[in-house]
Amino acid sequence: MLYIRPFAFLIALSLSVSLSTVSSAQSVDSTQVGRFQLAESFMRSGQFQRAISLLEDLYQDSPNTHVFYERLREAYESVKRYDDAILLIDRKIQQDASPVVYITDKARLLFLKGDEAGSKATWQLAIDSNVTSSSVYLMVYRSLMQVRLFDFAIEVLEQGRDNLGNASLFQTDLAQLYNLTSQHGKAVSQYLELLKINQNQLNYVRSQMSPFLTSDEALDKSISVAEEGVATVPLNRAFRELLAWLYVEDGQFRSALDVYRAIDRLEREEGRLLFTFAQIAADGAAYDVALEAFDEVLRRYPDGSSAPDALRGLGLMQEMWAETLGEQVFDIAGNRLERNHYDEALDTYQRFLIDHPQHPHFPDVLRRIGVLHQDIFFDYTAASTVLTEVITRYPQTMTANQAAYDLGRMAITENRLGDARIQFSRLLTRLRTGELADLARYELALLHFYKGEFEATDGFTRAMQENTSTDVANDAIAMKVMLIENRGPDSLDVPLRKFARTSLLIRQRKWETALHQLEDLEAEIGLHALSDDVLFSKAGLQARTGAIDAAIQSYLELPLVHEGSFLSARSLFEAGSLQETHLGDTDTAIRTFERILTEYPGSLMVKETRAEIRRLRGDEV
Amino acid sequence: MKNRLFMTVLIALLIGPVQAQDLLIPMDDSQSDHLKAYGVTFWSLNRSIDVDWLLNYRGGSFLISRTPEVENELRVRGVRYEVLNGSQTAAVISEVESDASNTSVVRLEKPPKIAVYAPDQTLPWDDAVLLALTYAEVPYDMIYDDQVLAGDLEDYDWLHLHHEDFTGQYGKFFNYRSAPWYIEQQRQAEISARKHGYRKVSDFKREVVQVIREYVGGGGFLFAMCSGTDTFDIALAAQGTDIVPMEYDGDPIDPDALASLDFSETFAFTDFRPSFNSREYEHSNIDSGPPPPQLRNPAVDYFTLFEFSAKYDQVPTMLTQNHVPTVKGFIGQTTNFIKTLIKPGVVILAEAPGRGEVRYLHGTFGEGTFTFYGGHDPEDYQHFVGDPATDLNLHKHSPGYRLILNNILFPAAKKKKQKT
Repeated sequence: MLYIRPFAFLIALSLSVSLSTVSSAQSVDSTQVGRFQLAESFMRSGQFQRAISLLEDLYQDSPNTHVFYERLREAYESVKRYDDAILLIDRKIQQDASPVVYITDKARLLFLKGDEAGSKATWQLAIDSNVTSSSVYLMVYRSLMQVRLFDFAIEVLEQGRDNLGNASLFQTDLAQLYNLTSQHGKAVSQYLELLKINQNQLNYVRSQMSPFLTSDEALDKSISVAEEGVATVPLNRAFRELLAWLYVEDGQFRSALDVYRAIDRLEREEGRLLFTFAQIAADGAAYDVALEAFDEVLRRYPDGSSAPDALRGLGLMQEMWAETLGEQVFDIAGNRLERNHYDEALDTYQRFLIDHPQHPHFPDVLRRIGVLHQDIFFDYTAASTVLTEVITRYPQTMTANQAAYDLGRMAITENRLGDARIQFSRLLTRLRTGELADLARYELALLHFYKGEFEATDGFTRAMQENTSTDVANDAIAMKVMLIENRGPDSLDVPLRKFARTSLLIRQRKWETALHQLEDLEAEIGLHALSDDVLFSKAGLQARTGAIDAAIQSYLELPLVHEGSFLSARSLFEAGSLQETHLGDTDTAIRTFERILTEYPGSLMVKETRAEIRRLRGDEV
Repeated sequence: MKNRLFMTVLIALLIGPVQAQDLLIPMDDSQSDHLKAYGVTFWSLNRSIDVDWLLNYRGGSFLISRTPEVENELRVRGVRYEVLNGSQTAAVISEVESDASNTSVVRLEKPPKIAVYAPDQTLPWDDAVLLALTYAEVPYDMIYDDQVLAGDLEDYDWLHLHHEDFTGQYGKFFNYRSAPWYIEQQRQAEISARKHGYRKVSDFKREVVQVIREYVGGGGFLFAMCSGTDTFDIALAAQGTDIVPMEYDGDPIDPDALASLDFSETFAFTDFRPSFNSREYEHSNIDSGPPPPQLRNPAVDYFTLFEFSAKYDQVPTMLTQNHVPTVKGFIGQTTNFIKTLIKPGVVILAEAPGRGEVRYLHGTFGEGTFTFYGGHDPEDYQHFVGDPATDLNLHKHSPGYRLILNNILFPAAKKKKQKT
């Protein structure tokens, strides 16, 4: 309902008088204006009956004043006096030479009255009054939209197309209607027709389609039609982009890649579109597809502007993929396994260095090579060379600092503890604050620990645990607890020193030596406070060296021998995990996990344990 | 010889009762997971293990016969329990049944079959009852209009409604009318209405509420929350008139809509006035709306649970079992019910003190009962469209959610003869 202000009313009134189709126009005097204003105020305040009385008189006095008619009709409608409103409209239809708008209004009122058959017949009458006018169909369509008769609205517009012999009429309206009635395939057909005429409408089409792509069915139908469109008109770029977008919406990244590949080739994009898509695929965790897209860019456009980023991106994807799959380069016995994604990542990075020596990403890529050599391939010579080069060529950069940290770690692994201390100390002096500084500080604490300098270790851990928001704070607290619990009883802390040295051996990947030392230590110290840590570490090493049965045995032994140890629950958890993953014995694993709930109900492991039991039981939680 | 025989008998007598054991699931502050405790109780009932609900004893504790399966399930679900021997159980029962204390024992026997009335469509707000049932691992079926009109309600003992709009105004989310979820919701409602021969969704929903009304009258249990409460009664009262503005159903409200309301049809509310403003996010004046600004703060807004006689008013007592006497408030499309608009005979279970506003009520209709609970999410003070669902792992002790779960257990209670 429209309530126009007095000034606007006067304009409307004068316009309606001037637009009147009756040759002898009747004038509107001031009393009528006043009465009309009063009627308007009654309408606004919901006193429709009072408004109707005034408006009926006004209309009787001045039947050709359109606004009187309009308001009276609205007033009748407000109180659901549909018959009266229809009578009013019928009079207008008889009087007016071009009554289509009144006929559609009558149809709408018949529908609201509940006479659906009558309303449809009346709408058809409106169409039949001028079947060759597109505006008639639009008038009827808008009237139908007001009462949400979408299916009939579709019929009307389709009828309009047939009668007018123009299949490109009403495209956007029909597309919207098809979407509203879940005929998504047909909606896409209309949008494709639109794009055929104007490819620049792609963003508009996507924005119109987006709200309706909420179900699998909607996506499937849309994709199916878009595929047909591309097959029929293969050179229309907008068609292909639309299809690619739909594939991405549906998570079909591989299919999207094929489309982008084609666009790239046809439109001579030189890899720009593929590179952008590769990033989208990576964000969507479709690493294999992202990898392929990067690869495509490099193969086709090795000298293109996107090539360096693509090459680096390729290396990152390969690393990420290897990590996701848990790939290893060596087996337990130290034998080289067959080539995997880490090897490919290394090759990719090396290719980057050769192809793009001046690129801003060069230092980062160089460092990544160093880290791969260090942490994955255990080639410390190569790692050292590369990381040193990073520091030398790019001093005082963050990448250089990170390389310095990596070199420090490597020094520990190679048993050059003095060099390691120098590296970390210098790093700490340079940085003072930040995540890397915290990590360096923790490494220094560990160095003191390995050397049995427990007072110094304690000093570092105290400093680190002050800021509990840092990642290393947890490790520092764990270290501190280790010292508190396990020093003594002798003044030289011999058991703890031996344990510390064994920890260093483990870090240096000298598994067998470490295992032997732990076994000796275990025999030596009896029921020393450290004995549970020793047994737990031993079990871990046994698992790492492939002695699974022995590892499970050690883990199960710990709670028996050291009932009150905080490692008891964790031992049982590890034993249960090994029983499940390596022995495939789910029932035994469940029983082991259940022991945590019964024997250590207050343990921090309880929540994880319950989740594991539920998972192994197949509970849908 | 005689002495030996006497000692043997004595020992046998002592061993007998000591060996019989029960598990007490305390529901006071010592409980590690109040909400999952309801789930384990339900799980036990599903396995034909009777459970005794000790009303008002340590927060409404449960007593179950000790079996390895029950005990294991309690441990796996993280629900704290205590093992009682025979004499300890006897002492507890004796204390609970004593006339000196406002406690009683209710035997829970048969788990109710639960239906949740909700559309298939994912809507951008959480449903507190679905969250509670899911977290507590209580099984339920989802039904909607088609199933209700097909008579499927007869298969269920308990029906839940949450954020529904039985007036056919699509929740009065007029500002969201262009949002995809709103378009979809409206479209699906129109298709359903047409399928059942109705031009308007409001007319269609009126038939749905009538069927639900008959279901309750025939012995069903109804629990409704948030706008599922007042819109249910509004739709019942408006059976013979059109109270829906034209923005929602295409035609204006009936000019004599107010005069045509029939409050004799409603469950809980009377003499209320629906809101005819399409843009107002209220359905009627039943809802008090959010608290006044000085109280609109989760730290100070609360409502108080009433205490009932556990021995004579077992149903309201069951419904108000909790480990706290006051519960922190939370807002919803329907938050609190104006007290003066509640029918006499309806039992008020909780109210916002000093404001004339009721939060939680219960009543009977025919052979069945209904419980209405205001507010949207007990652990989200003001839940907005698009907000993420509450994670009940972080609210295991929620008193507000306990009130929801009390409702799923009480239909399982064995009807006890009143003392005369």
